[in-house]
Order: sequence, then C-alpha cells, then structure tokens
Amino acid sequence: MTAPAETPLLEVRDLKIHFATRDLGITVKAVDGVSFDVMSGETFGIIGESGSGKTTLGRALVSLLKPTAGHIRHEGVELGGLSTEALRQARRHYQIVFQDPSAALNPRQTILASVCEPLEIQGGLSRDEREARAIEALSRVGIAREYVRRYPHMLSGGQKQRVNIARVLTLRPRLIVCDEVVAALDVSIRGDVLNLFAELQRDFGLTYVFITHDLSVVAHVSDRVAVTYLGRFVELGPTEAVSDRPMHPYTEALMSAEPIALPSAMRTGKRIVLEGEIPSPIDPPSGCRFRTRCPHARELCEQKEPEWRELREGHWVACHFATPDGPPLASTH
Amino acid sequence: MLQIRGLSVSFATASGPLAVTRDVSFSIAPGERLGVVGESGCGKTVTGLSILGLLPRKSTTVSGEILFEGRDLNRLGPEPMRAIRGREIGMIFQEPMTALDPVFTIGEQISEAYRSHFPVGRAQARERAIDSLAQVGIPLPARRFDEYPHQLSGGMRQRVMIAMALICEPKLLIADEPTTALDVTVQAQITDLLLELSQNAGTALMFITHDLGVVAEVCTRMITMYAGEVVEDAPIDAALLKPRHPYTSGLLRSLPRLAKRKSLLPSIPGRVPLPSAMPTGCRFLERCGYAQSGCKSDQPLAEIEPGRLARCSRAADIELPGATA
Repeated sequence: MTAPAETPLLEVRDLKIHFATRDLGITVKAVDGVSFDVMSGETFGIIGESGSGKTTLGRALVSLLKPTAGHIRHEGVELGGLSTEALRQARRHYQIVFQDPSAALNPRQTILASVCEPLEIQGGLSRDEREARAIEALSRVGIAREYVRRYPHMLSGGQKQRVNIARVLTLRPRLIVCDEVVAALDVSIRGDVLNLFAELQRDFGLTYVFITHDLSVVAHVSDRVAVTYLGRFVELGPTEAVSDRPMHPYTEALMSAEPIALPSAMRTGKRIVLEGEIPSPIDPPSGCRFRTRCPHARELCEQKEPEWRELREGHWVACHFATPDGPPLASTH
Repeated sequence: MLQIRGLSVSFATASGPLAVTRDVSFSIAPGERLGVVGESGCGKTVTGLSILGLLPRKSTTVSGEILFEGRDLNRLGPEPMRAIRGREIGMIFQEPMTALDPVFTIGEQISEAYRSHFPVGRAQARERAIDSLAQVGIPLPARRFDEYPHQLSGGMRQRVMIAMALICEPKLLIADEPTTALDVTVQAQITDLLLELSQNAGTALMFITHDLGVVAEVCTRMITMYAGEVVEDAPIDAALLKPRHPYTSGLLRSLPRLAKRKSLLPSIPGRVPLPSAMPTGCRFLERCGYAQSGCKSDQPLAEIEPGRLARCSRAADIELPGATA
C-alpha cells in the first residue's frame, strides 16, 4: 500500500440513496446515511449481507446512481454538479467491475471489440490506437493475443473476468469499484484473479473499493473494512482490528458465522448464531437497526439511534454499548 | 446403507453420448454425514440426482450400482423408486424458491409430501406438518402453515424445504448446496439445524457443496470430485489436515482465509478439461504440480491407508500441504 495522500480520493458524506416504488408509495432506503473516505492507493472493503445496500453504494460511487441526499466527492469534485461532457471525461477515472463476468460482456462481440468499447465512448483515439491499447490491457491481465478475436462463450469464467478487468484498465482509472468480482468464480481460480487485482494495484497505484459478502475475501485484500447493515455502516476500521477484535455485535456474529475449513478441534472462538434475518429496508427498526437481532439489545437501542463513535484510533462503531475492548458483554440472553 | 459402485452417467447429445461422471464409488453408513466437494461441473450434482433417480430417463444412461439397503436403485422402475424417494431418501436443493410451488401454501406442500407416503387424512397430515415446521425452528408454525412461499424469507423457505424433506423421517438426506444462496448468518443457522437434526434422528447426510468450510463444520467424511471422478475419500479431519490428492490440497490452499493477509494466494493453474475432451490417464495431470510420467496411465481409486482412498499413483510418496500449511 502506498502512503495515503492528503486529499481523499473519495469523500462520502451522509449519503442516502432511496428508491420510491411508483405504485405502492413505498420508499426503499437502500443506503441511509453513510460517511467515509477512501484514500489514494488503499483497498477499502465493504462487507454486508444481501439487502445491506452495499451494491447500491458501489454504483453510486461511480455515478451510476444519483444520491438522494448527501455528497460524494471524487478528488474534491462533486461529479453530480458537472455538465454531461465534463462528467464523461471525469468518470473514466472511476470504474466498476461487476459480479457476473458473462453478463457484463456482449455475447455477439469479440473480446477485442468489448475491450475497445470504453475507449470509443471516451473518444480521441484512432481505431488502431484503441486496438493497441486494448491488446496491451488484455495482455496485462493475462489474456494472450490469440484470444482477442474470440467470443465470450469460448472463455472460462476466470478469463471472462480478466477481460472485464482489461476493459476498465484501458481507461487508466484511479479507482475501481469491485462488486463481488470473484463470487461467481470457482475457488481454485479465485486466487488467481485476486492476485491479479493486487498486482495491478501495485503497478498502477490503483485504489479499490472491494464490495463483497465473503469475509475471507474482504479480509485478505483490504486495508480497511466497513461493515454494512440495512443501509448503514455499523463498524469501520483497519482490517485486522475489525476481523480479529470487532467492537460491534453484528460484526462479531458475522465473523463467527463464517465456516472455516479446519477440523473442529482447531476451530477457535464460539459461534454466535443470530436469530432471524435482515429486516426489510422499507421499514427499518427504530433506534439501532440491528437491535431486532442483537443478543445485547436493551431499551435504549429501541429509542435512540446509536452515534457513530471513534472508540479506537481510526476504528468507528455505531453501538450504544460497544467499548474499546469490544462488543457489549454477553447479557442474560 | 448406501453403496455406490462404478457409477457412470452420460447424457445423450446431438454429437453422441457425453460422459459426465465415470466410475464413481463410495458408501454412506447409517447416521454418517458425507460431504461431496468439488467445483462446478465436477459431477457432484449429477451423482446426487442419479441416486434419487431424477435424471431424465430418455436422455441419460446410468451404469453401475446404486445399492440402498441392498436394493439396486438403478434397476428399480419409476413406481418403486417413487416409494423410496421422499420416504427413505429425502432431498433439499440450493434454491428453495424454485423448489417450492408458488401457488400452494407451504402447509399444503408439506402435507402432500407426507400423505403421498402415509395413508392419513388431511387433519392428521396438517398436525404432522405443523410439528415438522416447529421442529425446523419456524416461529408460529400453525400460522405459517397457511402462508405462500413468497411470504417467507430465503432462510425460512430453506427451513420449509428441510421440514418437507424430513417429515417422512428418511434414512438418508441428500442436500445439494442447501446454504449457497443464503447469507452467512443465515447459513450458520441452517448448517446448525441440519447438524442437529441429523444427530438427533440419526439421519445420514450426503452434503453436496463447493464450500470446504461448510463441509468441515457439518460432515464426518468427505469425498472430493474432479472432472466426473472421485479423486479422494477420507475422514474429514484427515482430509483437511493431510490431503492425499493434489487437487484436494490445491482447493484447501486456495482458500483466502487460510493465507496471510495480502499475500499471494495459491491457485490451481489451468482449467477443468471439458467432458468432450477428457484426457486419458489422470484427469488432473495438466494442472498438477506433482505430475510424473506414470500419471499418464489410468489412475485407480486406491486405498492408501485404512479408510482413505485416493486416485493418484503418487499418493504414497508425496507429502501434500493441507489446511494448516
């Protein structure tokens, strides 16, 4: 990791993204008040279960969704305030790679054509220049030249994901949002793709926002991690601290729920099994959103939303009863 | 209880039969929990479906023996098979939403599963269904009985599937990726439930998954499948700590959890050969770091030590890293 620069690459303040359903008059609060910075050169992990709002957040970070409220600044600039043309020029620096490598590629286009496409949209390069840059990017991600005239169905899942990575690399981005980029891949090739991301970061000084539900992946790649629950962050801090010494009861339960491929005698730590499932973002619980599943919930948790507190250096938590020593102690539950 | 011997499955295609599994042999003892691991396309789901007789008869050729309590299920007609499926052998699949019928209440579906094997009236079946919903931890089971699948969350639907699979008290439960579509906190609930139910009722479990962590938590033994073949068969702790097939070892080593943060993750180079272009000899050869000239000949699944099998001629003379390496 390179040393953090002065101005954050990304500045997110009180971000809210709500979706109104047309017919029922219901509002889905997918992201509901999130603030964080991403520093240049770091890998910022966002972890959460389905319905936590992590994908919505990721899309907003690359201007694919407009904030309902709050701000997102890219290197100090609010992209939402730019003209269409200025936005097009600016957003090349902030790219996203999606989960399903097949769905992201046009089956009727050759690999080369797909990888050239972002450059066509950006304009300014001749056809030969575009192709040269695409081939260079493809070779950089390990797709040999003889593959470039092939179609997506002739490639494996891992190769397709490499093509998607090459595609955003052609634009020479500063930030790549990686949304579940290895979730659809088999275990044996996940490592390869994660290694590639690490290598590209080193070589090009890239910054990543790594969104995933997979604890082992996020713990492996990230410098800092944010834990999302129902549209909010419940905890944010250095990866080791969050995974080994969490302060929020949800993080603690999440970490303990991860199945580990070790004999039972070697598995340390007690499994905390949460009751129930994540409630609907249409009507989140009052006070602390996690209280309906929290083994430590008390009256205060229902009445008052917990503040976002920095209990250890650089380590934030939203829980009334968390302390620097960890989550609230086991109640009579 | 269940003994599979030399099971090979092939699908009829426009360009001739396509072999998807070959010479699959393993057994499950009463009350045993067997994990079947491997990556997509390795034949684990097909193996599960062939035991249940759920592969399309017209377009599939199944050879070999599937002995269940002494009877060969592969030779059984559709009628006697139906008496076993759901009754003696239960099943759960990955996606509970597609396995449940959206137009019937969950209660109707569970009762039907019971009534198709036991001559009881509606009222009695209802009672029984409510009991089984309670048993899988569904709150207010009597009220849930009258709800439709879309009214339930993913985790609750999977509980319904388990209730339905267990209502006839089968001796064997085949679960194909039952927690893959679920969130990790819900997955923990479901694996705990399966483990508890299996232990309490002595139900044997065949747990098909790509997730070695889940297998480690639930199973007592595991087999690894690769390219349509069983390549390793061992007690769970031994398989995790001292794998004897390079593929099992590679899978374990590629788990990020076990690697140091930000370190280079080990991976298995190359890709699984296509069923239409299966090499002779060891099917893992191309991707194996331990390959020698002897690997080009056919590799039998051989016993290396009591209770442990591997399909690797080098198994005896190589030391492979496991989960703690």
